[in-house]
Amino acid sequence: MYYKFSGFTQKLTGSAPATAYNPQGLRSGLPAESPTMIFATPTKVVSEAGATAEYMGANKVPDLQKFFQTSDGIPVHLKRGYPDRLLYRTTMALTIGGVAYCLVALYIAAQPNRK
Amino acid sequence: MAHQVHAYHMVDPSPWPLTGAVGALLLTSGLAIWMHFHNMTLLTLGLILLLLTMYQWWRDIVREGTFQGHHTPPVQKGLRYGMILFITSEVFFFLGFFWAFYHSSLAPTPELGGCWPPTGITPLDPFEVPLLNTAVLLASGVTVTWAHHSIMEGHRKEAIQSLTLTILLGFYFTFLQAMEYYEAPFTIADGVYGSTFFVATGFHGLHVIIGSTFLAICLLRQVLYHFTSEHHFGFEAAAWYWHFVDVVWLFLYISIYWWGS
Repeated sequence: MYYKFSGFTQKLTGSAPATAYNPQGLRSGLPAESPTMIFATPTKVVSEAGATAEYMGANKVPDLQKFFQTSDGIPVHLKRGYPDRLLYRTTMALTIGGVAYCLVALYIAAQPNRK
Repeated sequence: MAHQVHAYHMVDPSPWPLTGAVGALLLTSGLAIWMHFHNMTLLTLGLILLLLTMYQWWRDIVREGTFQGHHTPPVQKGLRYGMILFITSEVFFFLGFFWAFYHSSLAPTPELGGCWPPTGITPLDPFEVPLLNTAVLLASGVTVTWAHHSIMEGHRKEAIQSLTLTILLGFYFTFLQAMEYYEAPFTIADGVYGSTFFVATGFHGLHVIIGSTFLAICLLRQVLYHFTSEHHFGFEAAAWYWHFVDVVWLFLYISIYWWGS
């Protein structure tokens, strides 16, 4: 029995051997590394540009890529550590407090008017 | 760490759908409490929660895509479908208000004087500020296309400049429209003319503000080198949304401002 990953059901389903050995999306002869990404091409002449082309700050994306790809098991919304935790806890506190306040307010609103 | 043998994105567990849902709960019940008891606490809390959710959810998407590389071609395809479907749903949203406008204006009732614009309403001159607004949005469509080509060609400075210009034109439109609202000789309470005019143009204005904000985020990301010449879907999504906003305005201008005057 041969299997393929069905893009429709997101599960393994039966398939012909040919499909099992040639999964969709896996192309042979593709380089392991993705091609160099071009963030910006310098507008100045090379002799004037200096070592790197810079306009409005230097490129920090490669460093951030390395930082966020560390395999420490931390979910992406907490990956930065303290600032992420602070914002998350504040949001969660407002969420839980908000639900409580909402239920109380709706309970009070549902009381008949006493004249 | 185990590596996946497929190109799809299995997202990390996230709290933002929950906080967003609670935000929606607080906004809706807050609206009811505000209307009946004049208390804005719940409403404000809901708005803050919504803003916090949007910021953190989309921040995480940027981290997952730009920094962690999860946005492979099949994933990007899914995101494209998603944006197209969302914009389609917005088209239907506006279709409803256009339906309401044409329902009332094609067969004006005796209460209105049997004519459109109704008796007593002095409509805005379509060839004054509304025409300028049309030119401003059309120009912004050109500048956003210019920005796209600049990004695709790796021209960083041009991309930043054209994107900035697009956003400035968006703000100019909003400013002009706000002035028009202030100076208009009729209000939302002036019968069905006022209702259809301000609800349709009002929701459009809200979408211009949303679109301008989306473009501003893209400008920030462009400055931070997030976009590459091959992969910049966030920008494309913003550009699609902006073109949608432009097209809605053209329909508004032709139907309500011009034909309806």
